Amino acid sequence: MHCTSASLLKINLLSSSSRASALPPSFLLPAFIQTSPFSSNPSHNARKDHNRNRGVSALRHTGIGKNQRLSVRVSALPQPVLSPARRSAVEVDPDHGLWAFFPKERTRLSTPEELNMRGRGWTIQELRAKDWDDLHKLWWTCVKERNRIATGEVERKRLGGRFGMYGEFEAGERLKEVKGTMSGVRFVLTERWYAWENARVQGMEDEEVDLYADVEMGERAYVPSEEREDAFSLGSEDDARSDRTRSLPPPAVSRSSRDVRV
Amino acid sequence: MAAQAHFKVGMKEIYLPNFTLVLKRTPSQPPTSASFLVPLWFSKLDLRDYLHHVYALPIGPHIRSYVQQSRIRQGQTKDPARPQSKRWHRPRSTKRMTVELARPFVWPPEPEDYKPWNREENRLSREEQEEMQERAGMTADAMAVPEERRVKLREQARALLEGKQKWRPGGGRIVEGLGMYQR
Repeated sequence: MHCTSASLLKINLLSSSSRASALPPSFLLPAFIQTSPFSSNPSHNARKDHNRNRGVSALRHTGIGKNQRLSVRVSALPQPVLSPARRSAVEVDPDHGLWAFFPKERTRLSTPEELNMRGRGWTIQELRAKDWDDLHKLWWTCVKERNRIATGEVERKRLGGRFGMYGEFEAGERLKEVKGTMSGVRFVLTERWYAWENARVQGMEDEEVDLYADVEMGERAYVPSEEREDAFSLGSEDDARSDRTRSLPPPAVSRSSRDVRV
Repeated sequence: MAAQAHFKVGMKEIYLPNFTLVLKRTPSQPPTSASFLVPLWFSKLDLRDYLHHVYALPIGPHIRSYVQQSRIRQGQTKDPARPQSKRWHRPRSTKRMTVELARPFVWPPEPEDYKPWNREENRLSREEQEEMQERAGMTADAMAVPEERRVKLREQARALLEGKQKWRPGGGRIVEGLGMYQR
């Protein structure tokens, strides 16, 4: 809105006309009759604001604006159910992955007796007989069991409050078996690797063994020294070495086990 | 694990990882959300991969994580035979991650009876122990007189002043076998 001096004067005149004395002096009359705006430019009236959302802010809690038209009427909004007792029960899928974090009975917390109902961990002798796939699966079974025990411990500590509850010792014992099994798996795999590595190094050093032979194509990985073409005999030493009857019998303890680097 | 991953699986194959994941209770969150305690070096991508391959758990697009710093505390002497200097230190921080589940999960209800865990007996015995330690401990003189003893003293004082009871040395305790000292 823009004010001209004329409009201001008129307002003044109207307000003051209610009082008794109010008429302006005669020398001021031209001010009411001859009026012109200060600016010579044409005045622009205010344009219609087509922005219905002007001044409406959720962050500033301004509320719904005067011209705001929403898709839902405020009276028709659904009311939330605030009390948990009145809410409908959530159906949990029996195959949900998170059930693996809880004991088999699907209770929140295992009792100390339930924790005690366990076998012993795997021994290294038993684990040595297993192949990689079985050991890998066993490892992951142990990992999931450890997660389960840890979840139970956190919950038990919370429910025990300030003074605690029984169950720490049993959970600790159970965890010990699990960890023992896991360390056994690691041990057996390491042992196996070192045996393989030692064999590989020996194979590389050995002249009779060809590690790069392609067995499927018919090449032989082991070629005994008497059949080798490139091994030329220098003298009596080589004759003695290649003559099987004259060579010493192999030692009782195999070299590989003695040289095992663990 | 057999199902197709809903995200691009990484190239690196990890066979025998050695860490623990703990499922946390989140009563204030909706049942479609789950929270875990993860190792400090864990990332959101690791968690997504882990939950898919180990637990066959499809999760929503976003994972939220935060690291909680521990408060400073003194060392603990677990073995009283070998006391350690209790240095002030800040233990390792814990990392928590919250995921959105494809299907809701509600925790099983809390046990109604805590008898298998002996919670009530534990509480009573520990409370008694603490009380005894307060009464008979080194700081007993410095600490205020407990309320029940105050009430009893007040009653005794009132009875003595009103003449209902006569003061006797020895606190009125009659020791058997020493009857000649009894008044």
